[in-house]
Amino acid sequence: MAEVLITLVKIIVIVFVFVLGVAGSMTLLGDRKQSARIQNRVGPNQAKFFGFSLLGFPHFIADGIKLVLKENIVPAQANKFLHTIAPALVFIPALIGWSVIPFMDHYCTGTVMTLPEHGYTEVCVDGEWKNYFSIMHMNSGVLFAFAIAAISVYGAAIAGWASNSKFSLLGGLRSSAQMISYEVAMGLSLAGALLIYGTLNINEMVRMQGNLLGDWLPMWGIVIQPLAFFLFLLAGLAETKRAPFDLPEGESEIVAGYLTEYTSMKFAMMQLAEYAATVFIAALVAVVFLGGWQMPWVYADGIRIFGNHWTPFGEEVWYYISIVLRIGAITFKILFLVWLQFMMRWTLPRFRYDQVMTLGWKILLPLSIANLFITAVIVTILA
Amino acid sequence: MGEVKTKPVERAEQGLWEKSYIPEILRGLSVTAGHFFRNISPRKSQRRIFTKNYPEEPTVYPERYRGLHRLMLRDDGQVRCVACMCCSTICPADCIHIEAGEHDDPSIEKYPAVFVIDELRCIVCGLCVEACPCDAIRMDSGRHIPPYTERNEAFFDRDLLMELGGLSQAKQGGDRTPAAAE
Amino acid sequence: MPKVNINGTEIEVEKGTTILKAAAQAGFEVPHFCYHPALSIPANCRMCLVEVEGARSLEPACYSEVTDGMVVETKSERVIKAQKSVLEFILLNHPVDCPICDQAGECKLQDYYMAYDAQESRLRAEKNQKVKVFPIGPEVLYDGERCILCTRCIRFCEEITGTNELTIVQRGDSAEIRTFPGKELDNPYSVCTADICPVGALTSRDFRFKCRVWLLQSTDSVCTGCSNGCNIHLEHFRNEIQRYRPRYNPQVNDYWMCDAGRLSYKEVHTDRLLRPMSNGAALNWHGVTETASAKLARALDDDAGSFGFVVSPQASCEDLFLAKRFIEEVLGTDQLYLGGKPDGFEDDFLIKADKNPNRQGVKAVFGGLNDFGDVDKLIDDIESGAIKTLYMMETHLPADAETRQRFVDALDKLDLFVLQAQHCAELANQAHLALPACSHAETEGTFVNFDGLAQPFEQAFAPHGDSLPHWQIFMRLARAMGQPLTYTFVHQIRDEMFQASDADENGEPAEAQAE
Repeated sequence: MAEVLITLVKIIVIVFVFVLGVAGSMTLLGDRKQSARIQNRVGPNQAKFFGFSLLGFPHFIADGIKLVLKENIVPAQANKFLHTIAPALVFIPALIGWSVIPFMDHYCTGTVMTLPEHGYTEVCVDGEWKNYFSIMHMNSGVLFAFAIAAISVYGAAIAGWASNSKFSLLGGLRSSAQMISYEVAMGLSLAGALLIYGTLNINEMVRMQGNLLGDWLPMWGIVIQPLAFFLFLLAGLAETKRAPFDLPEGESEIVAGYLTEYTSMKFAMMQLAEYAATVFIAALVAVVFLGGWQMPWVYADGIRIFGNHWTPFGEEVWYYISIVLRIGAITFKILFLVWLQFMMRWTLPRFRYDQVMTLGWKILLPLSIANLFITAVIVTILA
Repeated sequence: MGEVKTKPVERAEQGLWEKSYIPEILRGLSVTAGHFFRNISPRKSQRRIFTKNYPEEPTVYPERYRGLHRLMLRDDGQVRCVACMCCSTICPADCIHIEAGEHDDPSIEKYPAVFVIDELRCIVCGLCVEACPCDAIRMDSGRHIPPYTERNEAFFDRDLLMELGGLSQAKQGGDRTPAAAE
Repeated sequence: MPKVNINGTEIEVEKGTTILKAAAQAGFEVPHFCYHPALSIPANCRMCLVEVEGARSLEPACYSEVTDGMVVETKSERVIKAQKSVLEFILLNHPVDCPICDQAGECKLQDYYMAYDAQESRLRAEKNQKVKVFPIGPEVLYDGERCILCTRCIRFCEEITGTNELTIVQRGDSAEIRTFPGKELDNPYSVCTADICPVGALTSRDFRFKCRVWLLQSTDSVCTGCSNGCNIHLEHFRNEIQRYRPRYNPQVNDYWMCDAGRLSYKEVHTDRLLRPMSNGAALNWHGVTETASAKLARALDDDAGSFGFVVSPQASCEDLFLAKRFIEEVLGTDQLYLGGKPDGFEDDFLIKADKNPNRQGVKAVFGGLNDFGDVDKLIDDIESGAIKTLYMMETHLPADAETRQRFVDALDKLDLFVLQAQHCAELANQAHLALPACSHAETEGTFVNFDGLAQPFEQAFAPHGDSLPHWQIFMRLARAMGQPLTYTFVHQIRDEMFQASDADENGEPAEAQAE
């Protein structure tokens, strides 16, 4: 019973508070305020709470109210059932994936010890690991995350088909083609990292990134797989279908793509799913390449650098401090990557569709295969 | 048949540096990030935000701003315009309507009995001011065309335009001696 | 035939040709103010001075006749200097009040200043001041300050009208044009002085401040004031005639036209019938054509013998030709009457007693006027009941007020009264059907003047309101009554008309030439 309650709390905190909170406020801060500042504007500030524009937050509320109150229009001749579930098919996978993202290592009921001679591995002495900081501890977590994320392709394709509109259909096709193309490069670039980690368990992967090379350089994924990091980030950017890869939408050619025939909350869900996917990609990059919850030189039993080790405030207190620091670290990493993705959006002009395909199939794919091959050779030699 | 004139432009060669895109993307990111951080700087003087919160912060128009027309006045307060129709002739939007009338004073002779500018049609090009031989019409009132709720509120007639009027330094008509009028 | 060299161009001209005309033939413009081809040559403005090889001083080109072997320079340095000096002299006391001057835009002084002078005034003293708006005549105003004393107007009154009203009074820079004591410029051609005035000294009262001349569009037309058929420039702006200006035609009116004719354009814009009406209610053409054809057909069925038709000599030949076909082929009546304005003032120059522009046209189209009944017969026939249905073109009748009133009273006796006219007059309310026709400015056609000269006029602007040319109305009715008359363009009617009648084909009028 307690397990179930803990899981429920975790789901609520992670999915509804963190993910939807970040995704929702991104629509506000990322798309409006951030873009405004980049373009020397101030952004929306006219909706006000008692005379305060509060960073444009009332606009967010107003948008929500507006979208809820709008009429839900289903086009005549549309497939009503598919048209209705398509937003859910896009939205739900973007949330389910979060079940395997660890926000912190398992909680150790005993004493944690870090073993520098074993690659700075942390072991739990006189107790057991309790999973409090990720919704689900899964041995094949990466696989699960990708499998779920791939489902959202169906959502987009179904939305495009079910709308009974040529714009929607073209948008759906573009979206599915683009997502499938980039999933290949994404998976292959990840495979190199997996070869090194030797595990599909995300929490294990993050633990391994706690290693220090020469006792000072954190062995994060970005250090051991720099090319894969760029490939993955790029492919992830394309996966989220946001600028500069926002080809499924195009005012001049296909209106709003597969969103054309959606209104009201269904439209909001589609839109929100896009933002949730952005945050999810950021989380994946963070855990696989940026050390997840790892903070450089901060370990559960103290601070270690150049072979030195000291524990401020005593072991008991430091453990809790390290938990807070590490949750803060992964949150910061995710938010930074989200911010970076938005910066990319306001920096780069959008591609042409054939350029998107060329980039996916002719550049990212060969590079990721080469990366996988070289990694495999090195791993084999070192092993 | 005219030939299509072409001018061959040499394409800038891209080196490996540009072709790999990543450094160039980073360069672009540094530009946008530069804007971003400068504009969220706590010191407002550092920010370079161009947005004017117009209704709250009144805008100061530049000195040479062309806005609402005004009709200049003679020294005795009568309208300076002599209804020569130069402005309505040159007006590309055809927004000036003048009907000339016979003035009681024979030395003035002609004046605009009706002078209406349809500010709705006006494209604020300033050609009427250029065309005016009498310095009678100007657009330097420093005001923009005010908003209106009904179409005929945008028809500015002579008296309304004269309210904004001022005196001109240009001499008009010369000095007439009363004796010459026999 | 003397041969003369003008600016290096060798040209052979008639003996007695002036240098100015010879230069024009050679393609060189010699500026001039006082010279007018229809008037005597005083050579007083000195604007046309040219250099003749061998002559001691510059010679006035308007006056000097060419001799064989003469070598003339119209653009030499001396000539240019003389032109500048003359213009500076003329402009010395000129008020330069172009913004309020009606002549601005067609002013020779403006044109020549821009072409030959273009320098600032060197006068530092006050300008000489004169009376500005002097009422020199009922139709003409005089502005002494603008006057350059070319005496064209004086010569016009002496040589063309012979009325001798005008002269120059005072001397030097006080000189002005004035009428002789007890006279005013009130001859019937007085506005021609405003036409020939090269500057804005004499201006038409009617056109005063009405429209700037550069806004006017000009259409070649024919005056409808009387049967003389003076050729005119019909000048209009925004679908409204602003003025008539005489168009040069040596066969008809030379450079002139009368004041009454000049003002006859006002008829086009007063009291117009603009909507088809049935018993006083406005209809559209579709509806009124149906109604009219049905009513006419019933009237013909009832009693074809009591059908009367009033033909108007105000309509063009093309309209009359279709009226004839309509009468003969569709109505089949032979009770024709002739309308038109009553006779009026007449003189021995341009003004004719017959105030209808196209009586000769009626004669030509219908093969004489013998078949037409006069007004008295018309009224008698209506009153006696011989006419039950009347179809009337235009509202005019050659009758005095009393007779006209008799006619209006008699209209009540008619079973059906169809009026097809430009104007409402008092008849449109009485008509069972009133069909709006358009004026000569809104369509094209041909008038035959008193002399039998067929003169075409052109369309100036689109018909006002719902009005249509007479010929189109006849075509509509004929089609609705099942006997279509098929024409698309006026020139088709014109060709057929000229084939049918050769009486009025004295040849096309001479092309208008600018002075």
